[in-house]
Amino acid sequence: MTPMVDLAFLLVTFFMLTTKFKADEPVIVDTPSSISEIKLPDIDIMTITIAPEGKLYFNIDGKKTREQVLLKMADRYNVTITDEEVKRFSVLTSFGLPIRELKRFLPLNEEERKAIPQNGVPYDSLNNELSDWVRFSRLENPQFRIAIKGDRQSDYKTVKRVMDILQANKVNKFNLITNLEQTI
Amino acid sequence: MGEINHDQGTAGKKDKKPHQKKLSTHIDMTPMVDLAFLLLTFFMLTTTFSKPKTMEVNMPVDPDDTTQQQKIAESLTITVLLGKNDKIVWYTGIENPTPMITNLSSTGLRKTLVEKNSKVYNNAVILRDSLSRGYLKMDEFKKRLGQIKQDKLGLIVLIKAMEDATYENLVDVLDEMAVSHIGRYAVVDITPIEIEMLAKI
Repeated sequence: MTPMVDLAFLLVTFFMLTTKFKADEPVIVDTPSSISEIKLPDIDIMTITIAPEGKLYFNIDGKKTREQVLLKMADRYNVTITDEEVKRFSVLTSFGLPIRELKRFLPLNEEERKAIPQNGVPYDSLNNELSDWVRFSRLENPQFRIAIKGDRQSDYKTVKRVMDILQANKVNKFNLITNLEQTI
Repeated sequence: MGEINHDQGTAGKKDKKPHQKKLSTHIDMTPMVDLAFLLLTFFMLTTTFSKPKTMEVNMPVDPDDTTQQQKIAESLTITVLLGKNDKIVWYTGIENPTPMITNLSSTGLRKTLVEKNSKVYNNAVILRDSLSRGYLKMDEFKKRLGQIKQDKLGLIVLIKAMEDATYENLVDVLDEMAVSHIGRYAVVDITPIEIEMLAKI
C-alpha cells in the first residue's frame, strides 16, 4: 500500500500547488469560441469584460499598479480616498462601478458587496470613466496587454464603443478572449 | 481512529507485563489515506487546465498623411457585412455591388473566401503539409506563413458590422480569416449605403 499512498500524496501536492482558484467575478460571461491557440499571458493584463446588456467591467493586475491607478482616478474625479480603501482596492478583482460608488463599495465586507448591484463602469461620452481607467493604467504600466472578454450575445455597438475608446487611447492592438473551439 | 502502540515497557517491568512487545511502530494509516484520496479527488475535479485562449486583433490606424495610403485593387477586396439575427452578406468591388447572402457554415462564407484567396490558401496548405511531414520547423513555418499571407495578390477583407450584430458573429468572422489564411483584413465602420443595402435584403 505504501507506494500507492506515496503516489496519492504526490498527486495531492501537485494539484494543490497547481490549482489556481477562480477569482470572484461580478458577472459571468460566455465567451465565443475560436480556433486560435494563443494563450493569454498571466501578468500585465487589463481585462475589459462586456456583459450582454452592455455593461462594462474593468480589471487590471498588479497590486502596486492598482493602488497608483486608483489614487490617480480619485484625484481626477475629486473623490477623497483613504489608505485603507486603497489597500482594499488593490486586492479586488473585476469591478463595474463608477468611481463615486466604488468609494462606498470598498469598505464593505464580502457579503455586503454581493448585495450591491454593479451596473458597469460608465463609458458614455459625458462621463467616460473607462477611458480614464485605461489611460491611467497604461501610464502606470505601459506593458499592459488589453484583453476584451465579451459575451457571445453582447451587441457590436458596445464592442465598437470599447474599441473606439481604446483607439482613442492609442491602443490599436488588443486581444479578444475566446474559448477553444470544439472540433467537430 | 489511528492508534500508536506506544512501547511502554521498560527493562525493569519486563516480568510484570510479559505480553507487551518491545517495539511496535505500526500506525493505522487508513484514515490518512482516505483523506489523501478525498483531497486528491477534490483537486482533480476542480482544477481546470484549459486557460482562456485569445485572438489578436490589430485595428487600422488613420494615417496622419493621406499620401501614405496605399491604393488597392478593387477586384481584390471583399466586404463582409454583419447584420441582425446572424445575417452575413458579402460583396466585391465598389461600383454597383451585388450583395450575396451567406452563412457561417463551412460551405458558406468560408468557401467564398477560400475560392477568392485560392493562391494564398493553396500555398498555406502546402506549407502546413510540409510542417506535418516534418520538413519544416514550427518557427520557420510561422515565418513563411507570415510571408505568404502578405502576398500582394492576396484577398483583402473589410469586415463591417451593424450595431445590432452580435459579438459572437464578429469573432466567428475573424476566425474565418484565420481559417482561410487571410492576412490582410480590417474591422471598419459601416457606411449608410451599406446599412441601406442590408435593410433591403
